[in-house]
Amino acid sequence: MITLYDYELSGNCYKLRLLMSFLGVEFETEKIDFYPGLQHKSEEFLKLNPLGQLPVIDDDGLVLRDAQAILVYLASKYDSSGQWYPTGDPALLGQVSQWLAFADGITGTASAARLHDSLLYRHLDIDSARAGAHNLFRILDEHLYFAELDGQDWICPGDHPTVADIACFPYIMLSEDGGIPRMDYPAIRRWCDRFKRISGFVVMSGVFPAGPAPAKEAEQAA
Amino acid sequence: MTCDNKILLNDWHVVAEADLLAFGDVQRTVLFEEPVYVSRDEDGGITVRRNTADGAKLPLQEKYGFIWTCLGAPERDIIHVPEAFEPDRYLVSGGSFGVKVSGLRVVENFLDMGHFPFVHTGWLGEEPHTEVQPYEVELTKDDEIIASECYFYQPQASPTAEGGIMVEYTYRVYRPYTVALYKTNPTYPDRNDYIVLFVQPVGPEDCIVHPYLCYVKDGMEEDTLRWFMQLIFAQDKPILENQIPRKLPLDPRAETPIRADKVAILYRRWLRDHQVTFGTLPAVA
Amino acid sequence: MTTELHSQWIPIASSSDLPLRHVYQAKLLGREFAVWRADDGYVNIWENRCLHRGVRLSIGINDGRELKCQYHGWRYANRTAGCTYIPAHPADAPARTICNNTYPAQEAHGLVWCGEQAVGEIPALDGFETATTLRPIPINAPRDFVIEALTCYSMADGCAGLVNEDGSVTVTAGDGSAVRLFVQPCDSNHSVIRGVVNRAAQGADHIALLRTHSQALSALRRKIEAQAAQLEALEPMSAPIGRVAEDLVDIPAASTDGRNADLRVQVAAKERTAEGIVSLRLEPLTGSRLPTFQPGAHIDVHLQNGLVRQYSLTNGPGETDHYTIGVKREPDSRGGSTAIHDSVQKGDVLAISVPRNNFPLRRDAVNTIFVAGGIGVTPLLSMARTLNSQNLGFEFHYFVQSDEHVAFKQAIGEFEQAASLHKGLSPDETVAVLRKVLAEPGHARHIYICGPGPMLEAARQVASNCGWSDEAVHFEYFKNTVELDDSNSFEIDLARSAVTLTVPAGQTILEVLRENGINMGSSCEQGACGTCRCGVIEGDVLHQDVYLSDSEKAEGKSIMTCVSRAKSDRLILDI
Repeated sequence: MITLYDYELSGNCYKLRLLMSFLGVEFETEKIDFYPGLQHKSEEFLKLNPLGQLPVIDDDGLVLRDAQAILVYLASKYDSSGQWYPTGDPALLGQVSQWLAFADGITGTASAARLHDSLLYRHLDIDSARAGAHNLFRILDEHLYFAELDGQDWICPGDHPTVADIACFPYIMLSEDGGIPRMDYPAIRRWCDRFKRISGFVVMSGVFPAGPAPAKEAEQAA
Repeated sequence: MTCDNKILLNDWHVVAEADLLAFGDVQRTVLFEEPVYVSRDEDGGITVRRNTADGAKLPLQEKYGFIWTCLGAPERDIIHVPEAFEPDRYLVSGGSFGVKVSGLRVVENFLDMGHFPFVHTGWLGEEPHTEVQPYEVELTKDDEIIASECYFYQPQASPTAEGGIMVEYTYRVYRPYTVALYKTNPTYPDRNDYIVLFVQPVGPEDCIVHPYLCYVKDGMEEDTLRWFMQLIFAQDKPILENQIPRKLPLDPRAETPIRADKVAILYRRWLRDHQVTFGTLPAVA
Repeated sequence: MTTELHSQWIPIASSSDLPLRHVYQAKLLGREFAVWRADDGYVNIWENRCLHRGVRLSIGINDGRELKCQYHGWRYANRTAGCTYIPAHPADAPARTICNNTYPAQEAHGLVWCGEQAVGEIPALDGFETATTLRPIPINAPRDFVIEALTCYSMADGCAGLVNEDGSVTVTAGDGSAVRLFVQPCDSNHSVIRGVVNRAAQGADHIALLRTHSQALSALRRKIEAQAAQLEALEPMSAPIGRVAEDLVDIPAASTDGRNADLRVQVAAKERTAEGIVSLRLEPLTGSRLPTFQPGAHIDVHLQNGLVRQYSLTNGPGETDHYTIGVKREPDSRGGSTAIHDSVQKGDVLAISVPRNNFPLRRDAVNTIFVAGGIGVTPLLSMARTLNSQNLGFEFHYFVQSDEHVAFKQAIGEFEQAASLHKGLSPDETVAVLRKVLAEPGHARHIYICGPGPMLEAARQVASNCGWSDEAVHFEYFKNTVELDDSNSFEIDLARSAVTLTVPAGQTILEVLRENGINMGSSCEQGACGTCRCGVIEGDVLHQDVYLSDSEKAEGKSIMTCVSRAKSDRLILDI
């Protein structure tokens, strides 16, 4: 059984809850009082992850940290279809890795702004965090706009979403917590709707579900 | 706009959680748009200062695990919460959260049951069970607002509740920025669990919410409490931050009340009668 | 503050920004919009706040027919933006005046155009008859500053730009290619560049064309933003928030619009839908929308021969471009149905009332059972379509003489899985079926019945025998067959108006109120529809209507003023 060291309001933990829900993988959670308890900085937790960061998983004794690394691990191990983390196609795999790194950039900006505004991490530079997030969102919005034109629903080519979509989604969806509106990113907003309609999607606090998808015929007619 | 409401300025407000202020720490926060520095020296002594050249000290109290101050001359004491002195209760802070909306909107949302099935889906409510039954509202002789006999169908009313139940709430507005609820304890129907929000007005459109919970211990785990509070509050937050305008409008024609909003209607009138202008949009004459 | 810009048509979105079941967020001159396309293609541009608590509707849900607010689940209809449902009060029909602010919308050149007070035509784009719509480029700079800078836009060699009268910019290159760029002023320091290029392209060429402009405009954006950052920051624009109607400040009161026929509609289609039943499709004479209705609502139809008849709407949610009613020929009636069957033709104009809903549908049931008999199917059809569209559980039992008598087959087909047809049953057989259908009362289960009197009575009796409470059994009679007694005289005190009136024998309360200038809404005026319901504060009521349930009658807190009277000498009414 997988144990997820989890904090409800963490977008990084949410990434793993999402993937495991999409894959139908069962897991247990160990609740970590990240805020205000700072339990992830406790001596006990540091033994699990010396970086003092969430998330961490323990899969039958294999302890892993870092959201993107764990996404890669879980998808490789538990997705027999190989679609979430497509190792068979080097070009595609390269793109997935590129956007996983991009997701780290989103965490460093949009998530930082959120920590500043919502959880009162006042030492963070809010202006540069917000500006950095907007810069990334502009890049992603343009990418998704042209992906749509190409008939592509997801960040990487192909008919199926990948761990890159999962890695980017939470802190984009929670960006308003950090004072980063998404009005200027209509292609990102449409992608968010599509993401929420992936079978097995679950919400976290602060993320609302999407409405019903249109019938395929209606969508094509429109 | 700075605050010129005596009723607010001469009142006590939370500016920090005591446990989170380490020895040698200085925290900057804002109260009524005025920067305030809360510090703890190496001996544990706490001070609260203004951001003036002389760093004038402000009055200070430590109560319920929070540090309180007052920018004016305190006219009345911090509210008394008897539940906080009952030994068989967990006394837990929910964690302080910054919210980009008038604190008065936060209070009004806290008084609202109608949103449970839509915002707290699966926890405090669930479609199609959406009805808000009639309830009682009164303004007490102590000038507090009480809403009682508030019933709502909840699928998961508390971390330990099993299956859906009809839950009874009583709501209480003590002061413009202080609101609490009493909720039937699932194990002891004659006792209430208690949650109070101490809302720190940062600006007219910004606040920090300091929740404080007094829950009967039996049948409950302490760390679950904070988790549950945060789960619920973080569901409200995007709703609150998507309200236009961000200030609470006191004009009766600014928004559309329904019967379920009886307590909110009284709250808005009461704010108007007390001439609370900080965080509100005034009624148009 | 209103400026010239408020009366201009300005593009606020690309058509491709509005896929089905999506809500797009826009801002124009400081005012935010929620923009959504309904499944029927209609583009709605609404103020981006729910009328209840101001929550942005752009975080709400577009279900194809209605927009649902995320906060309290209020639903607003396609086109009209009228509120159709307030979940906190499932037994009430919301006042139809709860209506969000809508703004004009037009789609042209692949763009969606709006203007708070737009007048005139959207700009004709001469030379852009075959064109490609560019990717929008948001920019943090003031509109005028962006316009000025766009004249230097260079997409090819030898570009020359000029500012048009409407503030748009045309840039022409040496090779004849041209773009027309529009700057959407979102706020004082926030704009979006939108535009078209005078070339149609397909496939990879199309994408390459768009990419070229997206990159060139992004490059220009970097320059403009760097310069704009040096400008003195402007105050954000303010868009005053309108006030809601005065009658919404308190709990909505009963409708006071009498028996008016405010609307004119045209019969757009008249079809035989079943043996002896025609359906009429009624469309507005001008514009594309009719007032918001809720499932269960009826309209008064004023016929050419002077008769007034009530017909339930059969429409599904969000169908506000037309009303559909079903009319059964009743040879022994006073001529209303005959007039419709024989005289009303396609193209005729009819006077109708706004929809009234005295048969509201609760949507907080875990299961709803509809029992329809004959033409009684009409209000239940609208209800079932609503629950179906919201994925709420229900059963639809339709009792008819034969297959030929099944009306609105196509609409019923929408929820085939929930529909059961019961054909040609005798009264006893009907009761036997009803016993099975209504066997299980329970928490959050409700029954809605509409049909001929005897069948309705039977269904109510069966429900009662099975243990259903009065509150869970909802019904609507076509007509009141109670023999009316108007022989007594009594006084009425109007509590809120502080007036005392005498109702003599031979007159109704409603008539006496009207004679004394008190406007009371009414519709059927025979105690069946519920429109003229009034609160009773004191006094015994002689109920002669078929609208109130037995327990409501026993409670004595309401009266149908068109037929019911006082048992006592005096009634105190809540008017």
